[in-house]
Amino acid sequence: MKKRFVRLQLANEGCQLMQLLKKSFLVCAGVSLVILTGCASKPPAALPEQAVLGRVPADPPKNPVIDAEGLKAESKSIAVTDIYFKKEGKNLVFIEETRQKTNNNITSTITPKTIEVDADKADASALMGGANSSQFPVKFTNLADPKATAPVITPVDPQTSSASSNSSDAETQTSKKSGYESKMEYGELRYLANPIRGLLIKSGYKVVQAKPTVSMPNQGDEYFDIVKRIKAGDFSDADYVLYGVLTEVSNTDNVSDIPGTKSTSHQMTFEITVDFNIVDTKTTQIVASFIASGEGKDVQIDGRDTGYKPSTAKLMKLASLDLAEDVRKNLADQNFITNNPGSAGYQRNLKRRLDDDATTLKVYK
Amino acid sequence: MIMKMYAKTIHLSLLALSAALLAACSGPQVRYGDAKAVETVNANYGSTDLQIIAEAMTRSLLQSKAISGSKDAPIVTLADVKNKTSEYIDTRVITDKIRTQLMKSGQVRFAVSVTEMQSQTDELKRQNQSGLYKNSTIAKTGNMQGAQYRIEGSIASIVKNTKDVKDVYYVFNLNLINNESGLLEWADEKEIRKTATR
Repeated sequence: MKKRFVRLQLANEGCQLMQLLKKSFLVCAGVSLVILTGCASKPPAALPEQAVLGRVPADPPKNPVIDAEGLKAESKSIAVTDIYFKKEGKNLVFIEETRQKTNNNITSTITPKTIEVDADKADASALMGGANSSQFPVKFTNLADPKATAPVITPVDPQTSSASSNSSDAETQTSKKSGYESKMEYGELRYLANPIRGLLIKSGYKVVQAKPTVSMPNQGDEYFDIVKRIKAGDFSDADYVLYGVLTEVSNTDNVSDIPGTKSTSHQMTFEITVDFNIVDTKTTQIVASFIASGEGKDVQIDGRDTGYKPSTAKLMKLASLDLAEDVRKNLADQNFITNNPGSAGYQRNLKRRLDDDATTLKVYK
Repeated sequence: MIMKMYAKTIHLSLLALSAALLAACSGPQVRYGDAKAVETVNANYGSTDLQIIAEAMTRSLLQSKAISGSKDAPIVTLADVKNKTSEYIDTRVITDKIRTQLMKSGQVRFAVSVTEMQSQTDELKRQNQSGLYKNSTIAKTGNMQGAQYRIEGSIASIVKNTKDVKDVYYVFNLNLINNESGLLEWADEKEIRKTATR
Protein backbone atom coordinates (compact mmCIF):
# COMPACT_ATOMS: atom_id res chain seq x y z
CA MET A 1 0.00 0.00 0.00
CA LYS A 2 2.80 2.27 1.01
CA LYS A 3 4.71 1.36 -2.17
CA ARG A 4 1.65 2.27 -4.31
CA PHE A 5 1.33 5.66 -2.61
CA VAL A 6 5.01 6.45 -3.32
CA ARG A 7 4.56 5.47 -6.99
CA LEU A 8 1.51 7.76 -7.36
CA GLN A 9 3.40 10.64 -5.72
CA LEU A 10 6.38 10.22 -8.09
CA ALA A 11 4.03 10.13 -11.14
CA ASN A 12 2.35 13.31 -9.94
CA GLU A 13 5.71 15.10 -9.49
CA GLY A 14 6.82 14.00 -12.99
CA CYS A 15 3.67 15.50 -14.49
CA GLN A 16 4.25 18.79 -12.72
CA LEU A 17 7.88 18.92 -13.91
CA MET A 18 6.81 18.31 -17.51
CA GLN A 19 4.24 21.09 -17.33
CA LEU A 20 6.86 23.45 -15.91
CA LEU A 21 9.27 22.62 -18.73
CA LYS A 22 6.52 23.12 -21.30
CA LYS A 23 5.64 26.52 -19.87
CA SER A 24 9.26 27.73 -19.73
CA PHE A 25 9.77 26.57 -23.36
CA LEU A 26 6.75 28.55 -24.50
CA VAL A 27 7.90 31.65 -22.62
CA CYS A 28 11.39 31.43 -24.17
CA ALA A 29 9.97 31.00 -27.66
CA GLY A 30 7.71 34.00 -27.18
CA VAL A 31 10.52 36.24 -25.96
CA SER A 32 12.71 35.14 -28.90
CA LEU A 33 9.97 35.99 -31.36
CA VAL A 34 9.52 39.43 -29.82
CA ILE A 35 13.28 40.12 -30.05
CA LEU A 36 13.47 38.91 -33.65
CA THR A 37 10.53 41.05 -34.78
CA GLY A 38 12.07 44.04 -32.96
CA CYS A 39 15.40 43.63 -34.76
CA ALA A 40 13.75 43.23 -38.14
CA SER A 41 11.48 46.24 -37.90
CA LYS A 42 13.93 49.00 -36.93
CA PRO A 43 17.72 49.24 -36.96
CA PRO A 44 19.52 50.00 -33.73
CA ALA A 45 19.61 53.72 -33.20
CA ALA A 46 23.11 55.17 -33.62
CA LEU A 47 24.35 56.96 -30.61
CA PRO A 48 25.41 60.53 -31.09
CA GLU A 49 29.18 60.79 -31.39
CA GLN A 50 29.52 62.84 -28.27
CA ALA A 51 27.57 60.26 -26.28
CA VAL A 52 30.07 57.50 -27.04
CA LEU A 53 32.07 57.07 -23.92
CA GLY A 54 35.86 57.57 -24.34
CA ARG A 55 35.75 59.11 -27.85
CA VAL A 56 36.92 62.70 -28.11
CA PRO A 57 35.67 64.69 -31.12
CA ALA A 58 38.51 65.54 -33.54
CA ASP A 59 39.85 69.08 -33.49
CA PRO A 60 39.14 71.12 -36.58
CA PRO A 61 42.26 71.39 -38.80
CA LYS A 62 44.51 74.25 -37.72
CA ASN A 63 45.76 75.01 -41.19
CA PRO A 64 43.24 75.74 -43.90
CA VAL A 65 43.84 72.54 -45.83
CA ILE A 66 42.16 72.77 -49.21
CA ASP A 67 40.96 69.27 -49.94
CA ALA A 68 39.01 67.98 -52.92
CA GLU A 69 35.65 68.24 -51.20
CA GLY A 70 36.35 71.72 -50.02
CA LEU A 71 37.29 72.78 -53.52
CA LYS A 72 34.18 71.20 -54.94
CA ALA A 73 32.03 73.11 -52.51
CA GLU A 74 33.69 76.45 -53.02
CA SER A 75 36.78 77.54 -54.90
CA LYS A 76 38.94 79.85 -52.87
CA SER A 77 40.34 82.85 -54.63
CA ILE A 78 43.94 83.96 -54.43
CA ALA A 79 45.74 87.06 -55.64
CA VAL A 80 49.32 86.62 -56.77
CA THR A 81 51.44 89.73 -56.80
CA ASP A 82 54.41 90.23 -59.06
CA ILE A 83 57.71 89.55 -57.38
CA TYR A 84 58.78 92.52 -55.26
CA PHE A 85 62.35 93.63 -55.19
CA LYS A 86 64.43 96.09 -53.27
CA LYS A 87 67.62 97.26 -54.91
CA GLU A 88 70.19 99.00 -52.86
CA GLY A 89 72.31 101.37 -54.92
CA LYS A 90 75.15 103.47 -53.65
CA ASN A 91 76.33 106.63 -55.28
CA LEU A 92 79.84 107.77 -54.80
CA VAL A 93 79.87 111.53 -54.34
CA PHE A 94 82.80 113.86 -54.58
CA ILE A 95 82.33 117.55 -53.74
CA GLU A 96 84.86 120.25 -54.33
CA GLU A 97 84.03 123.66 -52.88
CA THR A 98 85.97 126.81 -53.64
CA ARG A 99 85.26 129.90 -51.57
CA GLN A 100 86.49 133.25 -52.58
CA LYS A 101 86.48 136.07 -50.07
CA THR A 102 86.79 139.49 -51.60
CA ASN A 103 86.56 142.32 -49.08
CA ASN A 104 83.19 141.57 -47.45
CA ASN A 105 81.80 139.38 -50.23
CA ILE A 106 82.04 135.56 -50.11
CA THR A 107 81.40 133.57 -53.26
CA SER A 108 81.21 129.80 -53.14
CA THR A 109 81.48 127.41 -56.06
CA ILE A 110 80.52 123.77 -55.44
CA THR A 111 81.39 121.15 -58.02
CA PRO A 112 79.64 117.84 -57.21
CA LYS A 113 80.50 114.63 -58.99
CA THR A 114 78.39 111.53 -58.68
CA ILE A 115 79.50 108.16 -59.94
CA GLU A 116 77.39 105.04 -59.47
CA VAL A 117 79.72 102.34 -58.30
CA ASP A 118 79.83 99.57 -55.80
CA ALA A 119 80.64 101.81 -52.84
CA ASP A 120 82.21 99.13 -50.69
CA LYS A 121 84.68 98.22 -53.38
CA ALA A 122 85.39 101.85 -54.21
CA ASP A 123 85.88 102.67 -50.56
CA ALA A 124 88.28 99.83 -50.02
CA SER A 125 90.07 100.58 -53.26
CA ALA A 126 90.51 104.24 -52.41
CA LEU A 127 91.74 103.52 -48.92
CA MET A 128 94.22 101.00 -50.14
CA GLY A 129 95.55 103.25 -52.82
CA GLY A 130 93.78 101.41 -55.59
CA ALA A 131 92.20 102.59 -58.79
CA ASN A 132 89.97 105.19 -57.14
CA SER A 133 92.58 106.56 -54.78
CA SER A 134 93.74 109.30 -57.12
CA GLN A 135 90.18 110.27 -58.02
CA PHE A 136 88.94 110.25 -54.44
CA PRO A 137 91.93 111.02 -52.26
CA VAL A 138 89.95 111.72 -49.08
CA LYS A 139 88.72 109.12 -46.62
CA PHE A 140 85.11 108.22 -47.31
CA THR A 141 82.31 109.44 -45.11
CA ASN A 142 78.67 108.57 -45.11
CA LEU A 143 76.85 111.55 -46.53
CA ALA A 144 73.62 110.38 -44.97
CA ASP A 145 75.11 111.19 -41.59
CA PRO A 146 74.44 114.93 -40.83
CA LYS A 147 77.52 115.15 -38.61
CA ALA A 148 79.74 113.96 -41.38
CA THR A 149 78.26 116.42 -43.81
CA ALA A 150 78.42 119.50 -41.60
CA PRO A 151 80.14 122.34 -43.45
CA VAL A 152 83.78 122.18 -42.55
CA ILE A 153 86.16 124.44 -44.37
CA THR A 154 89.68 123.25 -44.38
CA PRO A 155 92.04 126.16 -43.79
CA VAL A 156 94.50 126.27 -46.57
CA ASP A 157 98.09 127.10 -45.95
CA PRO A 158 99.00 129.65 -48.59
CA GLN A 159 102.61 128.53 -48.52
CA THR A 160 101.96 124.90 -49.38
CA SER A 161 98.66 124.72 -51.23
CA SER A 162 98.48 125.42 -54.88
CA ALA A 163 94.69 125.42 -54.70
CA SER A 164 94.51 128.65 -52.74
CA SER A 165 95.82 132.11 -53.18
CA ASN A 166 96.00 134.99 -50.82
CA SER A 167 96.44 138.58 -51.65
CA SER A 168 95.87 141.75 -49.71
CA ASP A 169 92.18 142.01 -50.61
CA ALA A 170 91.17 138.45 -51.68
CA GLU A 171 91.33 135.00 -50.13
CA THR A 172 90.53 131.65 -51.78
CA GLN A 173 89.75 128.48 -49.83
CA THR A 174 89.24 125.07 -51.31
CA SER A 175 87.71 122.09 -49.55
CA LYS A 176 87.14 118.60 -50.81
CA LYS A 177 84.76 116.02 -49.51
CA SER A 178 83.82 112.59 -50.77
CA GLY A 179 81.62 109.81 -49.58
CA TYR A 180 78.66 107.68 -50.56
CA GLU A 181 74.95 108.06 -50.35
CA SER A 182 72.60 105.09 -50.26
CA LYS A 183 69.73 104.92 -52.65
CA MET A 184 66.93 102.37 -52.34
CA GLU A 185 64.87 101.31 -55.27
CA TYR A 186 61.62 99.37 -54.86
CA GLY A 187 59.62 97.72 -57.60
CA GLU A 188 57.98 94.62 -59.01
CA LEU A 189 59.47 92.10 -61.40
CA ARG A 190 56.94 91.34 -64.08
CA TYR A 191 56.44 88.00 -65.87
CA LEU A 192 58.07 85.78 -63.25
CA ALA A 193 54.84 85.11 -61.37
CA ASN A 194 52.73 83.94 -64.31
CA PRO A 195 53.73 80.25 -64.12
CA ILE A 196 52.85 80.37 -60.41
CA ARG A 197 49.43 81.77 -61.28
CA GLY A 198 49.06 78.95 -63.79
CA LEU A 199 49.78 76.23 -61.26
CA LEU A 200 47.30 77.74 -58.80
CA ILE A 201 44.62 77.76 -61.51
CA LYS A 202 45.39 74.10 -62.19
CA SER A 203 45.04 73.41 -58.48
CA GLY A 204 41.49 74.73 -58.47
CA TYR A 205 41.97 78.26 -57.16
CA LYS A 206 40.40 81.30 -58.68
CA VAL A 207 43.26 83.62 -59.35
CA VAL A 208 42.45 87.30 -59.22
CA GLN A 209 44.59 90.08 -60.57
CA ALA A 210 46.43 92.16 -58.00
CA LYS A 211 46.87 95.88 -58.48
CA PRO A 212 50.44 96.81 -59.23
CA THR A 213 52.29 98.68 -56.52
CA VAL A 214 53.98 101.91 -57.43
CA SER A 215 56.89 103.01 -55.30
CA MET A 216 56.74 106.51 -53.86
CA PRO A 217 59.62 108.99 -53.65
CA ASN A 218 61.80 108.23 -50.62
CA GLN A 219 60.11 104.83 -50.40
CA GLY A 220 61.00 102.66 -47.41
CA ASP A 221 60.40 99.05 -46.45
CA GLU A 222 56.71 99.80 -45.92
CA TYR A 223 56.53 98.98 -49.63
CA PHE A 224 56.35 95.33 -48.51
CA ASP A 225 53.52 95.98 -46.02
CA ILE A 226 51.04 93.50 -47.49
CA VAL A 227 48.49 93.96 -44.70
CA LYS A 228 48.26 97.66 -45.54
CA ARG A 229 47.61 96.74 -49.17
CA ILE A 230 44.99 94.16 -48.20
CA LYS A 231 43.17 96.76 -46.12
CA ALA A 232 43.45 99.23 -48.98
CA GLY A 233 41.60 96.72 -51.16
CA ASP A 234 44.40 96.11 -53.65
CA PHE A 235 43.40 92.44 -53.99
CA SER A 236 39.62 92.88 -54.37
CA ASP A 237 37.84 90.00 -52.60
CA ALA A 238 40.64 87.42 -52.73
CA ASP A 239 40.72 84.95 -49.86
CA TYR A 240 44.50 84.69 -49.96
CA VAL A 241 47.40 86.76 -51.24
CA LEU A 242 50.58 85.10 -52.42
CA TYR A 243 53.44 87.54 -52.47
CA GLY A 244 57.14 87.07 -52.95
CA VAL A 245 60.13 89.27 -52.31
CA LEU A 246 63.21 88.74 -54.44
CA THR A 247 66.09 87.62 -52.26
CA GLU A 248 68.87 87.23 -54.79
CA VAL A 249 69.53 87.08 -58.50
CA SER A 250 72.72 85.65 -59.86
CA ASN A 251 74.21 85.11 -63.27
CA THR A 252 77.05 82.68 -63.70
CA ASP A 253 79.15 81.86 -66.73
CA ASN A 254 81.43 78.88 -66.29
CA VAL A 255 83.51 76.73 -68.59
CA SER A 256 84.60 73.27 -67.52
CA ASP A 257 86.26 70.30 -69.18
CA ILE A 258 84.16 67.24 -69.96
CA PRO A 259 86.13 64.24 -68.63
CA GLY A 260 87.06 61.69 -71.25
CA THR A 261 86.67 64.16 -74.10
CA LYS A 262 88.52 67.01 -75.75
CA SER A 263 85.42 69.18 -75.40
CA THR A 264 84.45 71.79 -72.85
CA SER A 265 81.08 72.60 -71.40
CA HIS A 266 80.07 76.26 -71.37
CA GLN A 267 77.33 76.76 -68.79
CA MET A 268 75.42 79.98 -68.41
CA THR A 269 73.06 80.03 -65.45
CA PHE A 270 70.46 82.54 -64.31
CA GLU A 271 69.23 81.86 -60.81
CA ILE A 272 66.61 83.61 -58.70
CA THR A 273 65.66 83.07 -55.08
CA VAL A 274 62.38 84.42 -53.77
CA ASP A 275 60.94 84.57 -50.27
CA PHE A 276 57.21 83.71 -50.44
CA ASN A 277 54.34 84.14 -48.02
CA ILE A 278 50.62 83.44 -48.32
CA VAL A 279 48.41 85.63 -46.20
CA ASP A 280 44.79 84.98 -45.33
CA THR A 281 43.08 88.26 -46.15
CA LYS A 282 40.39 87.79 -43.51
CA THR A 283 42.65 87.08 -40.56
CA THR A 284 46.00 88.37 -41.94
CA GLN A 285 47.43 85.04 -40.78
CA ILE A 286 50.39 83.68 -42.74
CA VAL A 287 49.16 80.29 -43.90
CA ALA A 288 52.26 79.27 -45.88
CA SER A 289 55.80 80.59 -45.90
CA PHE A 290 58.86 79.33 -47.76
CA ILE A 291 61.84 80.21 -49.94
CA ALA A 292 61.82 78.99 -53.52
CA SER A 293 64.44 79.20 -56.21
CA GLY A 294 64.49 78.80 -59.95
CA GLU A 295 67.32 78.12 -62.32
CA GLY A 296 67.57 78.69 -66.03
CA LYS A 297 70.59 77.02 -67.58
CA ASP A 298 71.97 77.00 -71.07
CA VAL A 299 74.75 74.57 -71.86
CA GLN A 300 76.85 74.72 -74.98
CA ILE A 301 79.50 72.18 -75.85
CA ASP A 302 82.67 74.04 -76.82
CA GLY A 303 80.61 77.25 -76.53
CA ARG A 304 83.57 79.38 -75.48
CA ASP A 305 85.44 78.48 -78.67
CA THR A 306 82.49 79.39 -80.87
CA GLY A 307 81.78 82.66 -79.04
CA TYR A 308 78.25 81.56 -78.23
CA LYS A 309 76.01 84.07 -76.48
CA PRO A 310 73.02 82.74 -74.53
CA SER A 311 69.46 83.93 -74.94
CA THR A 312 68.48 85.88 -71.84
CA ALA A 313 64.80 85.43 -72.65
CA LYS A 314 65.22 81.66 -72.73
CA LEU A 315 67.09 81.65 -69.42
CA MET A 316 64.40 83.85 -67.84
CA LYS A 317 61.63 81.53 -69.04
CA LEU A 318 63.41 78.45 -67.75
CA ALA A 319 64.09 80.13 -64.41
CA SER A 320 60.46 81.22 -63.97
CA LEU A 321 59.18 77.72 -64.82
CA ASP A 322 61.65 76.17 -62.41
CA LEU A 323 60.65 78.69 -59.74
CA ALA A 324 56.98 77.76 -60.22
CA GLU A 325 57.85 74.08 -59.83
CA ASP A 326 59.66 74.78 -56.58
CA VAL A 327 56.68 76.87 -55.39
CA ARG A 328 54.38 73.95 -56.22
CA LYS A 329 56.48 71.56 -54.12
CA ASN A 330 56.52 73.95 -51.18
CA LEU A 331 52.79 74.64 -51.38
CA ALA A 332 52.09 70.89 -51.50
CA ASP A 333 54.39 70.34 -48.50
CA GLN A 334 52.46 72.94 -46.55
CA ASN A 335 49.08 71.44 -47.57
CA PHE A 336 48.05 74.47 -49.55
CA ILE A 337 47.55 72.63 -52.81
CA THR A 338 47.09 68.99 -53.75
CA ASN A 339 50.13 67.05 -54.89
CA ASN A 340 48.83 66.47 -58.39
CA PRO A 341 47.72 69.78 -59.77
CA GLY A 342 47.31 68.35 -63.23
CA SER A 343 44.72 65.70 -62.43
CA ALA A 344 41.86 66.17 -59.99
CA GLY A 345 42.52 69.85 -59.45
CA TYR A 346 42.51 70.43 -63.16
CA GLN A 347 39.18 68.61 -63.52
CA ARG A 348 37.60 70.67 -60.76
CA ASN A 349 38.90 73.85 -62.25
CA LEU A 350 37.65 72.90 -65.67
CA LYS A 351 34.24 72.10 -64.23
CA ARG A 352 34.16 75.46 -62.49
CA ARG A 353 34.90 77.22 -65.77
CA LEU A 354 32.25 75.25 -67.62
CA ASP A 355 29.75 76.13 -64.91
CA ASP A 356 30.37 79.82 -65.56
CA ASP A 357 28.08 81.81 -67.80
CA ALA A 358 29.06 80.84 -71.34
CA THR A 359 27.91 84.15 -72.81
CA THR A 360 30.60 86.08 -71.01
CA LEU A 361 34.19 85.84 -72.07
CA LYS A 362 36.35 85.55 -69.02
CA VAL A 363 40.11 85.67 -69.08
CA TYR A 364 41.72 83.79 -66.24
CA LYS A 365 45.18 85.03 -65.45
CA MET B 1 116.33 -0.58 -120.76
CA ILE B 2 118.31 1.76 -118.57
CA MET B 3 116.95 4.69 -120.53
CA LYS B 4 113.41 3.45 -119.95
CA MET B 5 113.96 3.16 -116.21
CA TYR B 6 115.53 6.56 -116.11
CA ALA B 7 112.53 8.18 -117.89
CA LYS B 8 110.12 6.43 -115.55
CA THR B 9 111.97 7.80 -112.50
CA ILE B 10 111.83 11.32 -113.97
CA HIS B 11 108.05 10.97 -114.57
CA LEU B 12 107.40 9.81 -111.05
CA SER B 13 109.52 12.60 -109.60
CA LEU B 14 107.63 15.20 -111.60
CA LEU B 15 104.35 13.72 -110.49
CA ALA B 16 105.38 13.86 -106.84
CA LEU B 17 106.62 17.44 -107.23
CA SER B 18 103.32 18.50 -108.86
CA ALA B 19 101.34 16.92 -106.07
CA ALA B 20 103.49 18.68 -103.49
CA LEU B 21 103.08 22.04 -105.26
CA LEU B 22 99.33 21.61 -105.50
CA ALA B 23 99.11 20.78 -101.83
CA ALA B 24 101.22 23.86 -100.98
CA CYS B 25 99.09 26.20 -103.13
CA SER B 26 95.86 25.14 -101.43
CA GLY B 27 96.83 27.21 -98.24
CA PRO B 28 96.34 26.54 -94.48
CA GLN B 29 93.42 24.56 -93.28
CA VAL B 30 90.79 26.64 -91.40
CA ARG B 31 88.21 25.24 -89.10
CA TYR B 32 85.81 26.76 -86.59
CA GLY B 33 86.22 25.81 -82.98
CA ASP B 34 84.03 26.15 -79.94
CA ALA B 35 84.45 29.68 -78.51
CA LYS B 36 83.55 28.32 -75.10
CA ALA B 37 86.05 25.46 -75.25
CA VAL B 38 88.76 25.43 -72.63
CA GLU B 39 91.91 27.02 -74.01
CA THR B 40 95.18 25.64 -72.61
CA VAL B 41 97.76 26.75 -75.17
CA ASN B 42 99.92 28.26 -72.46
CA ALA B 43 99.63 29.65 -68.93
CA ASN B 44 99.09 33.25 -69.98
CA TYR B 45 95.80 35.06 -69.59
CA GLY B 46 93.37 33.68 -72.17
CA SER B 47 89.80 33.46 -73.39
CA THR B 48 88.77 30.89 -70.80
CA ASP B 49 89.99 33.17 -68.00
CA LEU B 50 87.94 36.02 -69.44
CA GLN B 51 84.83 33.86 -69.58
CA ILE B 52 85.30 32.46 -66.07
CA ILE B 53 85.79 35.91 -64.57
CA ALA B 54 82.87 37.54 -66.40
CA GLU B 55 80.46 34.75 -65.55
CA ALA B 56 81.41 34.59 -61.89
CA MET B 57 81.26 38.35 -61.41
CA THR B 58 77.93 38.77 -63.21
CA ARG B 59 76.30 36.00 -61.18
CA SER B 60 77.56 37.47 -57.93
CA LEU B 61 76.65 41.04 -58.84
CA LEU B 62 73.10 40.12 -59.80
CA GLN B 63 72.64 38.50 -56.39
CA SER B 64 73.86 41.60 -54.57
CA LYS B 65 71.39 43.56 -52.45
CA ALA B 66 72.04 46.76 -54.39
CA ILE B 67 70.86 45.18 -57.64
CA SER B 68 68.36 42.50 -56.64
CA GLY B 69 66.80 44.64 -53.89
CA SER B 70 66.29 47.66 -56.10
CA LYS B 71 62.73 48.52 -57.15
CA ASP B 72 63.80 49.98 -60.51
CA ALA B 73 66.77 48.76 -62.48
CA PRO B 74 69.60 50.93 -61.12
CA ILE B 75 71.75 52.97 -63.50
CA VAL B 76 75.37 51.88 -63.47
CA THR B 77 78.45 53.05 -65.32
CA LEU B 78 81.72 51.35 -66.03
CA ALA B 79 84.86 52.80 -64.54
CA ASP B 80 88.44 51.55 -64.80
CA VAL B 81 89.61 48.02 -64.16
CA LYS B 82 93.31 48.37 -63.47
CA ASN B 83 95.73 45.86 -64.93
CA LYS B 84 98.30 45.15 -62.21
CA THR B 85 99.76 42.10 -63.93
CA SER B 86 102.97 42.00 -65.95
CA GLU B 87 101.01 40.91 -69.04
CA TYR B 88 99.11 43.04 -71.49
CA ILE B 89 95.45 42.50 -70.69
CA ASP B 90 92.69 44.57 -72.25
CA THR B 91 90.60 45.00 -69.12
CA ARG B 92 87.94 46.82 -71.08
CA VAL B 93 87.03 43.49 -72.70
CA ILE B 94 86.34 42.04 -69.25
CA THR B 95 84.08 44.91 -68.17
CA ASP B 96 82.33 44.97 -71.54
CA LYS B 97 81.58 41.27 -71.21
CA ILE B 98 80.25 41.77 -67.71
CA ARG B 99 78.17 44.70 -68.92
CA THR B 100 76.67 42.66 -71.75
CA GLN B 101 75.67 39.86 -69.41
CA LEU B 102 74.21 42.32 -66.88
CA MET B 103 72.25 44.10 -69.61
CA LYS B 104 70.84 40.77 -70.80
CA SER B 105 69.54 40.13 -67.29
CA GLY B 106 67.43 43.31 -67.51
CA GLN B 107 68.15 44.13 -63.88
CA VAL B 108 70.64 46.91 -64.60
CA ARG B 109 70.74 49.92 -66.90
CA PHE B 110 74.03 51.40 -68.04
CA ALA B 111 74.95 55.02 -68.56
CA VAL B 112 77.73 55.82 -71.00
CA SER B 113 81.15 55.45 -69.47
CA VAL B 114 84.00 57.95 -69.64
CA THR B 115 85.49 56.21 -72.67
CA GLU B 116 82.24 56.62 -74.58
CA MET B 117 81.73 60.28 -73.66
CA GLN B 118 83.41 61.75 -76.72
CA SER B 119 80.94 60.18 -79.10
CA GLN B 120 78.07 61.13 -76.78
CA THR B 121 79.10 64.81 -76.62
CA ASP B 122 79.74 64.87 -80.36
CA GLU B 123 76.24 63.59 -81.01
CA LEU B 124 74.64 66.10 -78.62
CA LYS B 125 76.64 68.90 -80.17
CA ARG B 126 75.58 67.80 -83.64
CA GLN B 127 71.91 67.73 -82.73
CA ASN B 128 71.75 70.84 -80.53
CA GLN B 129 74.23 73.21 -82.06
CA SER B 130 74.23 72.56 -85.76
CA GLY B 131 70.78 74.10 -86.25
CA LEU B 132 69.88 71.31 -88.66
CA TYR B 133 67.41 69.39 -86.58
CA LYS B 134 63.73 69.88 -85.83
CA ASN B 135 63.47 71.28 -82.33
CA SER B 136 60.93 68.77 -81.06
CA THR B 137 63.08 65.80 -82.04
CA ILE B 138 66.38 67.02 -80.62
CA ALA B 139 68.01 65.03 -77.81
CA LYS B 140 68.53 68.04 -75.56
CA THR B 141 71.75 68.89 -73.82
CA GLY B 142 71.53 68.66 -70.06
CA ASN B 143 69.19 65.68 -69.86
CA MET B 144 71.69 62.85 -69.54
CA GLN B 145 71.05 60.60 -66.59
CA GLY B 146 73.66 60.23 -63.92
CA ALA B 147 74.63 56.75 -62.78
CA GLN B 148 73.78 55.70 -59.24
CA TYR B 149 76.64 53.23 -59.13
CA ARG B 150 79.97 52.66 -60.83
CA ILE B 151 81.80 49.41 -61.36
CA GLU B 152 85.54 49.44 -60.92
CA GLY B 153 88.19 46.90 -60.03
CA SER B 154 91.57 45.42 -60.72
CA ILE B 155 93.30 42.30 -61.95
CA ALA B 156 96.60 41.22 -60.39
CA SER B 157 98.83 38.18 -60.84
CA ILE B 158 101.60 36.25 -59.16
CA VAL B 159 103.85 34.31 -61.55
CA LYS B 160 106.41 31.70 -60.47
CA ASN B 161 108.76 29.88 -62.81
CA THR B 162 111.06 26.92 -62.49
CA LYS B 163 112.90 25.10 -65.27
CA ASP B 164 109.94 22.84 -65.96
CA VAL B 165 107.00 24.49 -64.27
CA LYS B 166 105.27 27.85 -64.67
CA ASP B 167 102.66 28.73 -62.08
CA VAL B 168 100.36 31.72 -62.61
CA TYR B 169 97.84 32.98 -60.06
CA TYR B 170 95.31 35.63 -61.10
CA VAL B 171 92.98 37.48 -58.79
CA PHE B 172 90.25 39.64 -60.29
CA ASN B 173 88.56 42.08 -57.97
CA LEU B 174 85.38 44.03 -58.77
CA ASN B 175 83.57 46.68 -56.71
CA LEU B 176 80.19 48.37 -57.00
CA ILE B 177 80.37 51.88 -55.52
CA ASN B 178 77.47 54.20 -54.77
CA ASN B 179 78.37 57.45 -56.56
CA GLU B 180 76.43 59.70 -54.22
CA SER B 181 77.38 58.26 -50.87
CA GLY B 182 80.76 56.85 -51.86
CA LEU B 183 79.84 53.60 -50.10
CA LEU B 184 81.06 50.27 -51.41
CA GLU B 185 77.79 48.44 -52.00
CA TRP B 186 79.21 45.16 -53.27
CA ALA B 187 82.63 43.57 -53.85
CA ASP B 188 83.73 40.15 -55.02
CA GLU B 189 86.83 38.46 -56.34
CA LYS B 190 87.65 35.55 -58.61
CA GLU B 191 90.86 33.58 -58.28
CA ILE B 192 92.38 31.50 -61.08
CA ARG B 193 95.47 29.27 -60.85
CA LYS B 194 97.17 27.89 -63.94
CA THR B 195 100.19 25.61 -63.98
CA ALA B 196 102.13 24.75 -67.14
CA THR B 197 104.64 21.91 -67.15
CA ARG B 198 107.05 20.88 -69.89
